[in-house]
Amino acid sequence: MIEVEGLSKRFGKTQAVAGLSFRVEPGTITGFLGPNGAGKSTTLRSVLGLVHPDAGRTTVLGVPYLELDRPLHRVGAVLEASEVHPGRSGRNHLRVQAAAAGIPASRVSEVLALVELTGAARRRVKGYSLGMRQRLGLATALLGDPEVLVLDEPANGLDPAGIRWLRDFLRSLAADGRTILVSSHVLSEVAQTADRVVIIHRGRLVTQAAMADVLAGASGATRVRTPDAERMRTLLAAQGLDVSTTEDGALLVSAPPERVGELAAANGVVLHELSVEQATLEEVFLELTGGETTQ
Amino acid sequence: MSQLVRAELLKVRTTRGWWVYLILIVLLVGLAVAGDVGSNADLRSQQEFQVGLVEAAGFGAVLAMILAITMVTTEFRHGTITPTFLAAPSRERVLASKALAGTLVFLFFGALSLAVVAAVALPWLTITGDEIHLLEGEVATRAAETLLSVVLWGLMGIAIGSVVHSQVAALVGTLVWIFVVENLLVGLLGLLDGEGVTAYLPFRVLDAADGTGGDNLISYWPAVAVSLGWIALIGAAGVWRTSRRDIT
Repeated sequence: MIEVEGLSKRFGKTQAVAGLSFRVEPGTITGFLGPNGAGKSTTLRSVLGLVHPDAGRTTVLGVPYLELDRPLHRVGAVLEASEVHPGRSGRNHLRVQAAAAGIPASRVSEVLALVELTGAARRRVKGYSLGMRQRLGLATALLGDPEVLVLDEPANGLDPAGIRWLRDFLRSLAADGRTILVSSHVLSEVAQTADRVVIIHRGRLVTQAAMADVLAGASGATRVRTPDAERMRTLLAAQGLDVSTTEDGALLVSAPPERVGELAAANGVVLHELSVEQATLEEVFLELTGGETTQ
Repeated sequence: MSQLVRAELLKVRTTRGWWVYLILIVLLVGLAVAGDVGSNADLRSQQEFQVGLVEAAGFGAVLAMILAITMVTTEFRHGTITPTFLAAPSRERVLASKALAGTLVFLFFGALSLAVVAAVALPWLTITGDEIHLLEGEVATRAAETLLSVVLWGLMGIAIGSVVHSQVAALVGTLVWIFVVENLLVGLLGLLDGEGVTAYLPFRVLDAADGTGGDNLISYWPAVAVSLGWIALIGAAGVWRTSRRDIT
């Protein structure tokens, strides 16, 4: 659906993307993750024909974006919420884009209603909040009712209610069978919406897999609660296991629960709780990218 | 292509700047004609004077060029070039549609300027009881030349904007070029016995291509041809520059 093969791009002294390859499967929501400066935007802009790569090839629906016939009917993109003339009304911004793509004006009202912007449509974009601009961007991307959507940080600047709205909106779009590639640094949101993830770091691929596999493959932890925490901690440490204490006094152990339970039984330690702590996407991400913060 | 031209026309008409241009044309051309007619009571019944009134429409040419520069550079300034190229990935076609849509707008600017000349001069001369020559063939020729001149200035603006994408640099640079660089070149080339060459500088020929004759070193049609040559040359550089640019 979207294919990136050996993509490289250098800006001056910065190697933004270095030999990156990945695929976005049809009909999925794919989260595109990486720390700030990992090359996410450069990659997405290369896919859309806006940036000329130094090497490599990108295709959307089997052809380079530049060769797509009626591109807005095939691919919708939201790149930066600020890419609107501040003096133009939201409605006129959409009318311009619709005219360029030969889309009837009636569709403008439809997409405005879809992103719940009808009330503000005749106001100049200058007065829009960031959240409204993001929704105007989504409306622009949906004008041609495309089967592929490429979204760069659509959650940026949204308040919690806006993020929730976006999540539900993306889910409803995916339910229609669309393919969605969404970059984000709000990892918990991606974890709840995406089927697959592509993680990049310093312009290179770290991993691409189904979300469930990424989480399952990560080292989780076992949570133990016991009235005899000090003794348990000593016993675990003697086995060479990493132990940490949570705020509520429980222990987190880097070992499967079977091993922790057996150790406790053999030494007669009373346990009040023994459970598996699933790694969060956040933790997986930090593990894979060496602890750099996401953006 | 016609879709892109329609989109470009919509872009021009959907910001407040559009109305500012129209108001400026009416004010500048109107005041220039009023000043001319009002201060020349002894000359105003002459045909030559009335033909000369059309010169006031030259404000339309300058405004067409400024609008044309912003037609390209505003897209880079506000980032709207991204949705523009997403809708039409062929950048050559985008620039061509700007030139085509621009030409329609420039013709409208020219026609509006001429209409203002007529709207101020005709009633005034009628009231003062002067003989009216404004509807004679001579004036029609000058009006046609004015329309062509406005289009040439506008197309030059599109070409400049597609080479220099920064709005401030393009506008200021053009002014500096017209008022400083070309004058310096005229002076320097004069010292080197090259006065003949200076007549072919871009804005000298554009000026000579407005049909007012005067002290121009080259005559009308050669001036139009050389102007088109400059526009084609700068426009080709603009296509090259815009096609290679990464939109980040």
